Amino acid sequence: MDLLLQILVNGILQGGLYAIMALGLALVWGVLNIVNLAHGAFIMLGAYISWYSFSWLGLDPFIGLPLTAVLMFGVGYAIQRGILNLVARAPMFNTLLITFGLEVVLTYLAQLVFSADFRTINPSYSGRNIDVLGVTIPVVRLAASGLAILLTLVMWRFLLHTRLGRAIRATAQNLPAARLHGVEPRHLYAVTFGLGLALAGAAGGLYGTVSQINPYIGATLTAKSFAISIIGGLDTPLGVIAGGLVLGLIEALTTLYVGPTFADVASFGVLVLVLIVRPSGLLGRTA
Amino acid sequence: MHTLLRDGLPCAALALALSLSSPASHAAGNEIVLGASVQLTGPVANTGRYYKDAYQLAVDQINRKGGVQVGGKKYTLALKIYDNQSDVNLSVRQYTQLVSKDKVNFLLGPFASNFALADSAVSEKYQIPMVQGGGASDQIFSRGFKYVFGTLAPASNYFGSTIAMLKQLKPAPAQIALLYADDAFDVSVAKGTRPLLEKAGLKAVIDERYSSNASDFNTLLSQIKAKQTDAVLVAGHETEILNFIRQAKSLDVSPKLYSFTVGVPSEDFRKALGADAEYAFGMTAWLPSENLKDDWFGDAAQFAKAWGAQYRYEPDYHAASGVSDVEAIVKAIEKAGSLDPKAVRDALAASDFQSLYGHIAFADNGQINLDQVVIQVQNGKPAAVFDGSKFLRDAKYPMPDWSKR
Repeated sequence: MDLLLQILVNGILQGGLYAIMALGLALVWGVLNIVNLAHGAFIMLGAYISWYSFSWLGLDPFIGLPLTAVLMFGVGYAIQRGILNLVARAPMFNTLLITFGLEVVLTYLAQLVFSADFRTINPSYSGRNIDVLGVTIPVVRLAASGLAILLTLVMWRFLLHTRLGRAIRATAQNLPAARLHGVEPRHLYAVTFGLGLALAGAAGGLYGTVSQINPYIGATLTAKSFAISIIGGLDTPLGVIAGGLVLGLIEALTTLYVGPTFADVASFGVLVLVLIVRPSGLLGRTA
Repeated sequence: MHTLLRDGLPCAALALALSLSSPASHAAGNEIVLGASVQLTGPVANTGRYYKDAYQLAVDQINRKGGVQVGGKKYTLALKIYDNQSDVNLSVRQYTQLVSKDKVNFLLGPFASNFALADSAVSEKYQIPMVQGGGASDQIFSRGFKYVFGTLAPASNYFGSTIAMLKQLKPAPAQIALLYADDAFDVSVAKGTRPLLEKAGLKAVIDERYSSNASDFNTLLSQIKAKQTDAVLVAGHETEILNFIRQAKSLDVSPKLYSFTVGVPSEDFRKALGADAEYAFGMTAWLPSENLKDDWFGDAAQFAKAWGAQYRYEPDYHAASGVSDVEAIVKAIEKAGSLDPKAVRDALAASDFQSLYGHIAFADNGQINLDQVVIQVQNGKPAAVFDGSKFLRDAKYPMPDWSKR
């Protein structure tokens, strides 16, 4: 019984981490209709920025997150304006190709610049945990999950209630009408992509604090983020929380009851199931 | 889609590389060309680099010391190395290219068992000897192949010396957990470890296979804790083991001992973990000792020094194994007195010499047999603890609780 409780807690905490990893991908996908295959590579980049600000500047990884996010926002804004806007209205296959190319370039540049050495962001409190009723809760994971949920809620409120957020949604829903109201789509697209990357950067910082960083972590993270976005749905940022938690719990429970090698089978099985039963995701609007 | 593009792009890159490389055969004149496909980029690049660096250092040193004498004629060694981007399929194509188009004289191996398993089929088909120091899985040597030789100790016995040590530790560990990744090497390790545990009268209360590249070990760690496991044996990859140790710390899982097939001997692994690497056990078939004499480098200690000066990181057993592969080929050529692949193959099978890596001699199946020394991270350095029968120094055992470090 204790073990089951511990496994459920593990799954929920892992789910929180998954949620923040997927948040940026879902935002860019939902608003810009770009499936950013380089998303995981940007998480990797964010992780390295956090690693350097931690090891060179001595910045605590949580305090360094805004810095990472701001830098990544700049990168995202520039990439959208300079590269992706060129294919903004093109068929989806073009954006897939471009973001895939970005992934390859980023990954190999990362190996050139950072080498293939493994890194970890290892602040003194990284292994600390609290004991609640016999269940061990790692502090860093708890903080990361909390932050993930907080950021998701902020993003949700931002899109619903701020002028900029509404403009972003309006551009996605009806471009001509948004233009008639004076919205500048190029700028808004770039802001959205920048936000997506800022979130990826923050996710990278948290990921480096609980896991290890190397130039090749991106592809798996993209796949996970993709699955979470589909399971949760793209209509609201809250979808990634649902998707992240579902994935985290399924993986944990499958590992416990069936075996660790079946975790991926189960999670992608659920993905297929969601696509059949609720194609727009758990929190998506039904057609 | 993703994999389609992944496979497509390296192809295009290869085609481009082909069109740029000169068509002239490297094997002409006074050069003996050794060919290999190594992981210089991609997820396995971290260990792959040992092999490129090892082959290069060995070739340079042998050339500096007078090259290779074949029937009264002097030859120099040359290397032809491709980057397989950590892609097995690409590495097979590259080995095929090395023997059929580049016409290299002999083959050196890639890193990792699943690569050596696939690539050795090429050397067997074209009957060009391959001496490889990167694949330890018993599967590579159980197919009756005549042209593949291996200088890593058999995977099935990686935990042999560790299990012998378990029997001598006080208090003796009783409950064992065995975790292993689902690739050729680690499955061989697990297969070999089970009978060893049984023979030692130890019980595996957890025996689980996990997916390669897994990053979440929280569930397994919670099970290890719940079952009050004394010793945890993990056969996996460095990325997984880094995550395993970090998550063990965050979940406060402190078995009396844990041991890993890889990581502990590697400098960057210990650096990534910092103080958390302490107490971790591992094994190595090689330590840079002055007692290991070598015709070209003097001894293993001098070799380690030369390596550090050249590459600015420490060599581990992968590095020494890679160097011994080049040496084995050179010794065999000189003994055969010819560059004929068949004659050199026969000379390789009869190898019997001392190298900086140890005594090089192959069993009938082509694999070397070396004893694994148990090592433990003590004060940030890997220290030799147990040699298979006796303690070389005190093991730090049991490992203290994470909360008391």
